[in-house]
Amino acid sequence: MMRPDGTEEKNEEGNTLVWLTGIALLMQMISIFIYVPTERTEGVIQRIMYFHVPCAWLSFFAFFVVFICSILFLWKKDREWDIYAHASAGIGVVFCSLVLITGPIWARPIWGAWWVWDARLTSTLILWLIYVAYLMLRAQSDSGSMRARYAAVLGIVGFLNIPFIHFSVLWWRTFHPQPKVITNEGIGKGMDPSMLATLGLSLFAFTLLYFLLMGERVRQEKLKDEIDHLKRKNFYSS
Amino acid sequence: MDNLGFLFAANVFVWCGIIYYVYTLKQRNRALEKDLDLLKETLSKEG
Repeated sequence: MMRPDGTEEKNEEGNTLVWLTGIALLMQMISIFIYVPTERTEGVIQRIMYFHVPCAWLSFFAFFVVFICSILFLWKKDREWDIYAHASAGIGVVFCSLVLITGPIWARPIWGAWWVWDARLTSTLILWLIYVAYLMLRAQSDSGSMRARYAAVLGIVGFLNIPFIHFSVLWWRTFHPQPKVITNEGIGKGMDPSMLATLGLSLFAFTLLYFLLMGERVRQEKLKDEIDHLKRKNFYSS
Repeated sequence: MDNLGFLFAANVFVWCGIIYYVYTLKQRNRALEKDLDLLKETLSKEG
């Protein structure tokens, strides 16, 4: 039954997103392990790409949301944008951590080393450190409005690292492979169509997962706000 | 097929990471909902 605050409708939307994400992730797994052919030079280990790249995409997208919401927060001074930025930063850090874990696992058998200090890997590590600092700033500082403002500035500055990460493999000689999806020859010309389809499906599934996680994180921040508000209201009225 | 162990490890890290994150999010939200309900109940009793 529909409630006046629209809760029932939101729950139904949430359930649809859960199902869509679940189906997309299941199809992605089937595609990775059954449908897509094994790459000729790297062999079976190349299938890590279908997790590694979507994790990178999700973290970059999450940090882009932090960037946009931080600008909007500084401009409009609306707490809502701060909530979205904070929620998205947490998700971005989780998936950037997964990029930094899956990358070395892929690199070890191919490069013979877990880690090399090349431009792509180092700049990704710096990105991760910046947003970990962002979350630490939010957790440590206790002044609400100032904390949000400092965090917004850090969220904006941190994002400026992402174009650098993207172009690092083109500007310098790196161990990390060059882009395969968007190349000089066109979009998707550097890959087999089945590999491209699997990667596309993985990116789609992880994007849905982002929105699902974002819904939960935003709800968490709003619940914290409501509890704080009630506690403060009670403190001042007593 | 030599590197199957590495592929398995990467897969385990990704899925365990995601599942753990979703689990902690759900747990935290449930705990906050309980706190909020309790707080509302206490405040309504106090009038």
